[in-house]
Amino acid sequence: MPSSVIFTVPRVLVGACFLRLILLVYGGWQDANSAVKYTDIDYMVFTDASRYVANGDSPYARDTYRYTPSSRGCLSQLPGNSHLPGPRSRLHLVRSFSLQLMFLLGGLYFSSCVVTRGSSEGLLGVFVAALLWATLTKRPITAGAILGLAVHLKIYPFIYGASILWWWDAQRDGKPATKSDVDPFTRAMEFVTHSRVRFTLSALATFVALNGVMYLWYGMPFLQHTFFHHLTRIDHRHNFSPYATLLYLTSTGVAGFHSESLAFLPQLILSVVALPLALAKKNLATAMLAQTFAFVTFNKVCTSQYFIWYLILLPFYLPTSSLMRKPTLGISAAVLWVVGQALWLWQGFNLEFLGLSSFVPGLFLASLVFFAINIWILGMIVQDAGFNGDPIALAKKVHWEN
Amino acid sequence: MKRRTTLIQPLGAPFEPDQAVLSSSNLAIRGLDAARHDRITLGLDDLPEELRNVLESSHELHLRWAAEEHFDAIAPFSSRVSPGLHVHYTSLVSDRPSDTLCSVLRAVFGADEGDRNGVDCTSPEKSFTTPPLRSTRFATSTSLQYYTRLPSLQTLVGFIRRTICHQRQGGAKCHDHADTLLTADSVDIDYDSTSHTLAISGFWSSAPTGGWSEDIGKLAADDKIEIGLLGVEPGASPDELKAGGLLGSIGEDKKLTSHSPSQQGFIRRCQSPSRTLLYNHPPAPKDFTCALHTYLTLPSSVFIDQYQVGTDDPLFLQEHNLVAVRAFSGETDLEAPDWAIDRWGSTWLLELATPSADSADPASNWTSTIPMHLRYLNPSESGYRSAAVPWPVVFWACSTEEEGEMGKNPFDRTNLGYDGLFGPRTIFYQLHPASQHLVEELDVPVLKLKDGEGLFQARNIELGTSVVIILGFLWIIWRLARVVWATGLGANEVKRPETHEKKE
Repeated sequence: MPSSVIFTVPRVLVGACFLRLILLVYGGWQDANSAVKYTDIDYMVFTDASRYVANGDSPYARDTYRYTPSSRGCLSQLPGNSHLPGPRSRLHLVRSFSLQLMFLLGGLYFSSCVVTRGSSEGLLGVFVAALLWATLTKRPITAGAILGLAVHLKIYPFIYGASILWWWDAQRDGKPATKSDVDPFTRAMEFVTHSRVRFTLSALATFVALNGVMYLWYGMPFLQHTFFHHLTRIDHRHNFSPYATLLYLTSTGVAGFHSESLAFLPQLILSVVALPLALAKKNLATAMLAQTFAFVTFNKVCTSQYFIWYLILLPFYLPTSSLMRKPTLGISAAVLWVVGQALWLWQGFNLEFLGLSSFVPGLFLASLVFFAINIWILGMIVQDAGFNGDPIALAKKVHWEN
Repeated sequence: MKRRTTLIQPLGAPFEPDQAVLSSSNLAIRGLDAARHDRITLGLDDLPEELRNVLESSHELHLRWAAEEHFDAIAPFSSRVSPGLHVHYTSLVSDRPSDTLCSVLRAVFGADEGDRNGVDCTSPEKSFTTPPLRSTRFATSTSLQYYTRLPSLQTLVGFIRRTICHQRQGGAKCHDHADTLLTADSVDIDYDSTSHTLAISGFWSSAPTGGWSEDIGKLAADDKIEIGLLGVEPGASPDELKAGGLLGSIGEDKKLTSHSPSQQGFIRRCQSPSRTLLYNHPPAPKDFTCALHTYLTLPSSVFIDQYQVGTDDPLFLQEHNLVAVRAFSGETDLEAPDWAIDRWGSTWLLELATPSADSADPASNWTSTIPMHLRYLNPSESGYRSAAVPWPVVFWACSTEEEGEMGKNPFDRTNLGYDGLFGPRTIFYQLHPASQHLVEELDVPVLKLKDGEGLFQARNIELGTSVVIILGFLWIIWRLARVVWATGLGANEVKRPETHEKKE
């Protein structure tokens, strides 16, 4: 029986809900019966912060709360409400988001675990999917608002702004293609289309308005913890990023060239300029996946939760990817990606559990190897996005023809 | 200068009258098996100028030092602090701590030479922590606290020889007396601005081999020396101790006079319960409620997550046999590496769970655990660094809400860090550690780095990272360039999927 007959949309939806319900009930049971909690520590940070707010304090009174107050609001309630967030309301919200997520992700157990453990990353996935939907269905105001909201919640989705802007040329709005012999000024003026302006203004307005409200409510601590913290943080602790060892080294004040202060350059050149420019018009969803991949791979900090950012965009890419068309390649990539992480985790286990000094060469080389594997996979995504047709358009075309 | 020497003999220890002979100029003791407590009170004029300046700008300064090796803290000197040097300081002008306090501490006790065995504070504002406010009924609140590991008082003895002995022209006798501090188990140094005197107290839990043999006499004509030879035994009621023996004052008394054991319950603040007391409540008066506590002094290399341990989750507390975090102060940042921290560390007061009375089995072990976390430490050549954590003190605190005076006694020891966290009517019953060495040294894995040597030196790590990042970046740029070269920046022609072309 072909898989499309088994995995009908309603069945996937019901199955996904069911899986999450089981995990939630199990999580509740484990939390109540074991000192080792199923619910993630970050959810506790959110809950503590909510408690501070309910008592009329700032959520930033909770150490390591580094989010906008509204993400806490989304998970529990709006600021100023005196009720403490009950676990039930959380379950309900997480479930409803999970439902949308599941529709897109199929049975990815990883995401269900992360989401039911109380991570807010799944929420971002919903916004990214909604952003893609609003863009492809040509709703510039809505798309802008979603982008503004998403960037307010977490900074990284701003990279999608670049690809959406570049993608949204006049032809998308049904205008005829530009003649190739016009002068540069006219060409530049043609870049400023109705949709692009509306998208930009909507995004900016939403972002500024949300931040303005939060600033009025919480003042400098909001700006400090939500944005500035990311500029000044040292990040000396070990993680998947290839920069980790170097950052540990330089943060102790050991003299060096401080080349790590230029780390934002390759990251932003790729994810904000080069990838959108070359790929967005060819395949928006895959371009966004490549941007996310580049952003995470070249980031100064990289932990497992960042990989969830890929998941929402993978289903748009995988069906027509060379990874699926050539199973050997696909399986090799998946295996290598997992092996890369396993190598690092092995060294991490040596450090954290056995107390062995595995920073060099262990963790250092493992993070470089993992970086190289990610670069190889990103190269394939770029290739696929550049040379394949637009899978969403393809799918539509197939649908009409049938 | 005033001096009070107290020798405390254990129950049933032999004592012959010729072991302690008082003459007009000194007391000669020979082969006396006893614990010893010496207290010397100095006027500000007896002190070197640098020290005098700091003291004159202090409201209170209390230093507590304890040795790292195990010792029996016998009653009435049974209170304990974690091994190392503890400084409790209040400036005379509020919010204006002395600038020179740290340099004086470094000169008196020895500066940290990078091995974390000495004073490394830069200024009270930067390095000291602020313990929680005490009950306002305590007039003697100290506002700033500092701690460092200090295995030996060698530098202090050198300082006393160089300054105080020199100033008072005490000669060899003064030097010998200063040297006795090298074998002390604990030393207290106290100053307060009402008395304008500095008191140095040393405690020796046992006599040197062959017992104490010494001629205790005056260094200067106006010195006052009091001597006590005491025996301590349990009193009539469980919260009492009886002390009695011989007392005398050199130059004033002709012979030591006998004092029968006092019946007052005066040794109240610190008693030492027997080992099995963990399973029963200590012998406090009926109207007192008791709880088992531990007070931790943690250097900055380790920390406790206040959210993890301060939880009210009964499963967590049960698993670790904890009741609650009662107080904490100092450096509690959850993310900062050790090199980014100025303050010395943190202190924690936790209430521990005790086994229920019916399940009590004195033979079995009862364990409370407190999860701690290590900070990142600086790189080292071996790839490891040592983090020294002093043993905590464990005690019962029994208190009552009732008003009234607590019996005070001349051996009361305060400003231990934890006593101020309790109400005024509290009796402490100290539990004593079973280990011989009271500092745990942890091997912390750090970045292994040899200066200019080996493959993974600082320069190569920087170079390697940069090269790999740049290669990765160029690879993606090249892939993108190929795409743009072949298809331009615009959209591709939409191809029909191959599967449909093959449709039959």
